[in-house]
Amino acid sequence: MDYPRAQTDELKPYCTKLSLFTEGGVPFFSLEGLRLPESCEPQVCDALLCPVTRDNYPSRLYLSVKVKSHYDRNWNCENARIGEKNWFAFSWKVEGADLTLAQVLMAHLLGFTKEK
Amino acid sequence: MTAERFARQSFLGDDAEARIARVTVGVPGLGGGGSHIIQQLAHIGFQRYVLYDDDVVEESNLNRLVGAEARDALAETPKLHIAKMRILSLQPHAIIRGYACKWQEKPEPLRECQIVMGAVDSYRGRRELEIACRRYLMHYIDIGMDVHGGERPVIGGQIILSSPGGPCMTCMRFLTADKLATEAARYGNAGGRPQVVWPNGALASTAVGLAVDLVTGWTRKNRSYAYLAYDGNEGTLTPSKTLIGIEKYVCEHFGDTDLGDPVSIPL
Amino acid sequence: MTVAIKMTGRLYDEIWRDLERPHPFAHERVGFVFGRIGTRDDGGRLVLLTRYHAIPDAQYIDDPTVNARIGPEAMTWAMQAVYHGRPAREGVFHIHMHGYAGETGMSKTDRREIPPMMPGFQSVGRDAAHGIIILSLDHGSGWVCLPGNATLVPCGNVAVIGKEVKVFERGRRA
Repeated sequence: MDYPRAQTDELKPYCTKLSLFTEGGVPFFSLEGLRLPESCEPQVCDALLCPVTRDNYPSRLYLSVKVKSHYDRNWNCENARIGEKNWFAFSWKVEGADLTLAQVLMAHLLGFTKEK
Repeated sequence: MTAERFARQSFLGDDAEARIARVTVGVPGLGGGGSHIIQQLAHIGFQRYVLYDDDVVEESNLNRLVGAEARDALAETPKLHIAKMRILSLQPHAIIRGYACKWQEKPEPLRECQIVMGAVDSYRGRRELEIACRRYLMHYIDIGMDVHGGERPVIGGQIILSSPGGPCMTCMRFLTADKLATEAARYGNAGGRPQVVWPNGALASTAVGLAVDLVTGWTRKNRSYAYLAYDGNEGTLTPSKTLIGIEKYVCEHFGDTDLGDPVSIPL
Repeated sequence: MTVAIKMTGRLYDEIWRDLERPHPFAHERVGFVFGRIGTRDDGGRLVLLTRYHAIPDAQYIDDPTVNARIGPEAMTWAMQAVYHGRPAREGVFHIHMHGYAGETGMSKTDRREIPPMMPGFQSVGRDAAHGIIILSLDHGSGWVCLPGNATLVPCGNVAVIGKEVKVFERGRRA
């Protein structure tokens, strides 16, 4: 699946390096050095944004570490092996059709700052 | 080791022992299924192993963990140690690389295998193993069993061969989005799943038979895939109905881009 | 640093079918096979072969002093393929077959003619592995130039992951 350049460019300000790979037919945007909201510890980590439905989530943000934040989250994905690395994700569903990639990312990052 | 040792398996071919001895087999998970597998591999003559298990023997394992004794549960013997001893008792010169961790924590040794035999207990685990096997070109043989139904238990299971270039577990409709989604939703609530020794034995034996056939070609079947569905109540293994028409299928889930270390395209 | 090569059975069969075809004047055929890198436990490398390119008959040069000689168009094609394969770090391997059984090595002509191709491939695809594979009737040997290294490293084994698993080990009979 091709993503418009305008959309992928919108992701760049959030990280230090942006790239794309597919695995098993599923696309993953690799965001190295993703800046997380201020309440998070650590403040920066690597992430994968999967923009398609996978494992009952319309999209998913995987993180290289289990991030601490203000809200206790259900980290129901631990040591998921993607792209020959291990990733973590908490349960957070982002609904809504026709979201841009940046909107999807922001909606996932809200998981650290919004109660529900 | 004398020729007498393998005299009863001469039907596998004149050079079968040499071929078997050159193959490296990976077994991530040395529980009920994995312990059966490695015992049989050792009996047959496999010499090279890459093993993973981070667990120790508990009393609840003794109903099915081949090679474990009651004292191992008391001593909390690592399952990796049980497996190593079992192999070495049959093949004293075996080369065993064992890791007391999950394979995902130290994946590089697994990549040197030609065959990986998985008895993992989750669909996600199977998906991850299959992806690794496709990336680094390894046959993946998967076994699994489950018991469902309350008042009238039903034992089911499967043996699957997923080979590079052939249909994958998604093509064979064993791995589905629904199964993965349901499992993800249940994360943390799975609990101890029913497990008993005889279905594990049936599945492991058939899986080892597949592995031996891949190495020796003795059946001349030349398979690039298999999906056998196990009915533990009837005691049968039959090709899954999902395989109908699969010989015309070209796997769209794995391509050249999935080979080797992942390469991301900078954007 | 240890290196091993793997390929699928389908690719091995495709290579065989091409290499054993007779050529109008060359005594043996040559091809190019492409591969990507995987990391091994000891810091060594796996080369996973992806696809094969059969060199067209017309791109051979009629040279009776050697078993086969490929012309500049074949080399240009290979260099361009390496160039286009750079994003995927896909490298190229010169492959041919010796028509006898058992472990095979480079002949005197092979040693003279093939290794000098490697620097050219490396200059175009410096992040990829390039090298040489020689098959025999029942064995296979490989030599690999890893990224950043001009030395051809002999492979510990060449494995075919097919309907029959074959493991061709260096220093062992087939």
